Amino acid sequence: MVKAGGGGRSGIWDDMEESDNQLLDRYAAGEESAFEELVRRHQRTIYHLAYRMLENHADAADLAQKTFVQAFLHHRTFRRESSFRTWLFQIGLNLCRNALRARARQVYEDVEEVPLSAPLDTFRAAAASELRDRLGGAIRALPERQREALVLRVYHNHAFAEIGAIMSCSEGTAKANYHHAVNKLRRALVGGEERL
Amino acid sequence: MICGEVKERTVAYLELDLEASLVRDVTAHLEGCAACRAEMEAVRQVLVRLKRRTVPDPGDRFWEEFPDQVRRQLAQARGEATRVKRLSPPFRSWVGVSMRSWPMALAASVVLLVGAWMLAGVFEPRDGGPSGKGQPVAQSPGEGKSDLPHLVEADWEVFGEEDPDMVLVEMASRLDRRTVDRLFGDI
Repeated sequence: MVKAGGGGRSGIWDDMEESDNQLLDRYAAGEESAFEELVRRHQRTIYHLAYRMLENHADAADLAQKTFVQAFLHHRTFRRESSFRTWLFQIGLNLCRNALRARARQVYEDVEEVPLSAPLDTFRAAAASELRDRLGGAIRALPERQREALVLRVYHNHAFAEIGAIMSCSEGTAKANYHHAVNKLRRALVGGEERL
Repeated sequence: MICGEVKERTVAYLELDLEASLVRDVTAHLEGCAACRAEMEAVRQVLVRLKRRTVPDPGDRFWEEFPDQVRRQLAQARGEATRVKRLSPPFRSWVGVSMRSWPMALAASVVLLVGAWMLAGVFEPRDGGPSGKGQPVAQSPGEGKSDLPHLVEADWEVFGEEDPDMVLVEMASRLDRRTVDRLFGDI
């Protein structure tokens, strides 16, 4: 039997969430300093989430900024049923999904336009890159939801209940996605080692 | 506990996400099973390698400027939202009408259809109805007009003011059976 929660957060965290809500109230009342404090408090977390999903600085920086823009544009719709941090994660993850899907479409279009002489070099470069970072390749190959659960668990130490809240699924589904992701990475690494 | 059961619980075991009794069972199995120990170690290595993957820090300047960047984008987004609101009132009002007043639109469509049918009745020769397909139809005196007064005499304003949908209900209730047959006979 698997325990519920999978590790929670301390009361200190709850105090901080209260502060986030207080800062939001102050921002809603027109206090500009509250805006800066909220952004500074969460900017690294959201940038890291975006970087883990998009894997380059320019896209991650852009997406992190957009996450805060969306949050402050729509802060009145935030019902405070979850923490402000969880809400930021939800917005950030949604933007990541959109960005990854747009990127996938872009790659598909670009591949069609690659000249006939290019593929050999392109594939050699890709193969060399994958050899250098098999784990990175395996993470990129994960289905969207499994990758999200992996990132939220491994790099942001979220409890599975919180991962479920961010991904809009049950705690059990979040756990299943995470377990599948880890097992797939394990198989991918074993396969890679055998090929080498 | 058998190897398959241990394998199912490998990730949960490493995540300390198992009940105490299951932790004891898995630990006992691992002590006597080299294959499961190797599998457990392989999965542990995956988690260790994952943890080692770091995000390059973009530098202090990036973090210092970050709130200002957000502030600028926020102002730009708000400006764009305001501009859209200011520049496109016809579109917004059209959308508003279409979303809020679809019953009115439906009523208007039916009225137009009936109106078109009435006009067709005026301009068509009276010796062949819509269902007649060119064949003369025997009519009693005044039969061709019997449905028209019902529609024309409907008290549109009374019903329309109270509930636009009631106009349709009233119209339907005033159509007699033969008129309905004439209207929809070809369908």
